[in-house]
Amino acid sequence: MNIYSYIIRRLLYVIPVLLGVCLIIFILFNVLSPDPTLIMLGKHASKTQMMELRAELKLDRPWFIQYIDIVRSTFTFDFGRSWSTKQEISEMIKNGAIPSLTVTLPAFLVSFVLSISISLFVSFYRGKIIDRSIVFVCVALMSISSLAYILYGQMFFAFQLGWFEISGYESGFPDFIPYVLLPILIWVVLSVGPDVRFYRTIILDEVYQDYVRTARAKGLAESTIMFKHVLKNAMVSIITYVVIRIPFLILGSLLIESFFSIPGLGGIILNAINSSDFPVLKAMTVLSALAYIIFSVITDVLYTIVDPRVRLK
Amino acid sequence: MKFTCIGLCLIAIFVTFPSCTKKDNFKGLSLNLAVSSQVKGMDPIYANDRYSSNEVARVYEGLLEYHYLARPYKLVPNLAESMPTVSNDGLTYTFKIKKGVMFQKNEAFGSEPRELIAEDFVYSIKRLADPKLQGLGWWLLDGKLVGLNDWRKKYSELPKADYSEAVDGIRAIDRYTLQFKLAKPFPQFLYALAMPFTFAVAREVVEKYGKEFLNHPVGTGPFAIKDGVFKQTKKIKYVKNLGFRKKKYPCDGSEKFKKEGLLEDCGKLLPLVDRLTVNIIEEDQPRWLNFQKGKVDFIAIPKDNFDTVIPDAKNLAPDYAQKGIKLIRSPSIDVTYTAFNHDLKLFRNVKLRRAMSLAYDIDTANKLFSNNQALPAQSVVPPGISGHIEGYVNPYRATGRPEQIAKAKELLAQAGYPEGKGLEEITYDCPNATVSRLTGEYFKKQMAQIGIRVKVQQNPWPELQKKITTRNIMAYGIAWSADYPDAENFLQLLYGPNRSPGANGSGYNNPEFNTLFKKAAVMQDSLERTALYEKLNRIAAEEVPWVFGVHRQNFVLRHSWLKNFTNSDFDAGMAQYLSVNKAKKEEMLKKL
Repeated sequence: MNIYSYIIRRLLYVIPVLLGVCLIIFILFNVLSPDPTLIMLGKHASKTQMMELRAELKLDRPWFIQYIDIVRSTFTFDFGRSWSTKQEISEMIKNGAIPSLTVTLPAFLVSFVLSISISLFVSFYRGKIIDRSIVFVCVALMSISSLAYILYGQMFFAFQLGWFEISGYESGFPDFIPYVLLPILIWVVLSVGPDVRFYRTIILDEVYQDYVRTARAKGLAESTIMFKHVLKNAMVSIITYVVIRIPFLILGSLLIESFFSIPGLGGIILNAINSSDFPVLKAMTVLSALAYIIFSVITDVLYTIVDPRVRLK
Repeated sequence: MKFTCIGLCLIAIFVTFPSCTKKDNFKGLSLNLAVSSQVKGMDPIYANDRYSSNEVARVYEGLLEYHYLARPYKLVPNLAESMPTVSNDGLTYTFKIKKGVMFQKNEAFGSEPRELIAEDFVYSIKRLADPKLQGLGWWLLDGKLVGLNDWRKKYSELPKADYSEAVDGIRAIDRYTLQFKLAKPFPQFLYALAMPFTFAVAREVVEKYGKEFLNHPVGTGPFAIKDGVFKQTKKIKYVKNLGFRKKKYPCDGSEKFKKEGLLEDCGKLLPLVDRLTVNIIEEDQPRWLNFQKGKVDFIAIPKDNFDTVIPDAKNLAPDYAQKGIKLIRSPSIDVTYTAFNHDLKLFRNVKLRRAMSLAYDIDTANKLFSNNQALPAQSVVPPGISGHIEGYVNPYRATGRPEQIAKAKELLAQAGYPEGKGLEEITYDCPNATVSRLTGEYFKKQMAQIGIRVKVQQNPWPELQKKITTRNIMAYGIAWSADYPDAENFLQLLYGPNRSPGANGSGYNNPEFNTLFKKAAVMQDSLERTALYEKLNRIAAEEVPWVFGVHRQNFVLRHSWLKNFTNSDFDAGMAQYLSVNKAKKEEMLKKL
């Protein structure tokens, strides 16, 4: 099948999936959730004002109209305004995505390159003391709570040594850089442990394949075998693991953003949860679902590029 | 070797980058504050939490304000020329507003500066009542001003409210005279005029920006948003409003503040600083570390750091004192409590309520959850406002003494549940926070002493609210902070007609209490009203509609360079009075 028709067909699948997402959103937020007007009006809520507010928010309309509203906003990307902050949701997302990405994107790239490099390195020395030591360190890194890294990082590197800013954020390049260095470092440390173990397993699976033995028998250099043959063949699994994580980079990290006062989407989601800000939560759910679908299509297409045996059907 | 070199270079870049960023060479005075919650926006009518109302009050102003240095709290004129004249029947309030007060510059006004006039207040109050905007402070004026409810009702059914339609209850008599007509006596009305909900906005600005008005604050206040646009971010930057009227630092105040030297800046023009930065730092640790580094000028002590900072529960630890850090403690006007659902027949049994209250050791609770610094509540009205009975001891308030437990058991038997037999398990609902859960577990343990079984149920805040409103609850732990310093604001929590979704979440309904409250609520401040408040407070104590908790205390640390700081429960507008000793700051920063 032609790659373009495949993409178009997969993207058409988005429609029923999004309708399903809308239904789940509707059930979660419009049917099962407590009355948001109570949260919005606070301790002085009265019955009359709750009714008036419900009418203003259009929550008093028949359920199918409310569902259609969700569908309409999903397909037009017009999510309206936040109930809590009254801000335009599209603006909130735009303003929050950039600070989130200034942390997550470099952190993701650095941890990817670092993890792959370490994995290739330990695979080369598989079973030896260096391999075991690195695996041990990875397991140790994974065993420590992410909160511990954040608290210790802030306390030691930022407060005591003064190498980094404790928290905060400034918009614009390069003003934001001092504020994102420590969060990036922590993200990398948090990612390296599980990533190295995962990549190492994939690479070791390849290392014992016949083609590697053949390459060695032919007298190829070990670096050529690792980078040119092993890495290339391991790419299908790596791509699956990596590409599907990309959309979640935009959503930032709830914990890191909260502790480092980074005005990203993670914080926006957290505040929306705390204040029952359903329009924001709906928007974030729809966008996450959409991004997930798109990136899974990208993953499929990339398979065909890295492995010619894969055919799109 | 090559990899090692690259690695070292990367580390060097990483470490040295912070010092390469631009330095702050600002010559004026800067104030750096930290707040622990998101700021919703800059529209006064939506400022229903402390954080948002503080931000609104930096840019906007109201007719009245709390005297910065007076305790007990006292209202004084702000944009009003003087306190209002009140008609004999207490229903008509006439204000003269200050002449020559200018709004901050904005394109909406064209090239000419725009003066504040009485009509701006008429417009601002109508905005609060506008059904299409659903202002969150409407409860403050609901049913209080003649014709305003009718105006609101009329336009709730029409597509748009007509602000030009006159409302009898709020009128601009002339350019500088404003008159309010109350529908019924409401002595707390003046407090409403010191709350950000009623602050003056300019119609031209609202109309120019429409729904984006909340991001374009243009008021008459001491500060203006830097660059004129509010952004939902973690750092809000303000600059001094250069067109601010000649408002001066007060020259009078309570004795306590005089002794503390808070009148040194008497007569100086406000605001005292040129720049103000508000850092939104939601987590305790970074807020605390930023304070210790001198990046924040004052901070409420996080609970986890309390023992380190005040090890003997009285004085500041020497480490902090040597850095010039000062401790300011002040009582908070609030009350914590465990409410019963009085819709349930079970809790209409006063002996059961008294038994439960007597089984609850408040002293230990104070040690466990308030660092032993809170004041055990004897009833509903906190200290510092009239209606609180100094020295009164609630006969059903326990401190864990064996005779109190014995008495609790006796009362429980009299209630019909000897040793808790025949009493169903009581569900205690609380919010999800750890402290709330621990408080619930402590309540469970205390009740177990007399044989009452309790199950602790944690809830997300919306879920807990829903349970209270739908009356699907047995008992729950909660707190109430004052909206204004008047006992009415606390006693209304037990007024029958205010039952949930009103403020009376427990649904307590005592005809005697209701009659007395109704009478007191419409009385002007007087000895007679205070006596009534005290009587109501005593009824509440003895009827035990809730298990009373504590009145909390505020513990704030400030750096030595911060001048004029005092803690307040009503701190909107406080930043204009604060100042910074720049030389001292530079000197002290080296020691931090």
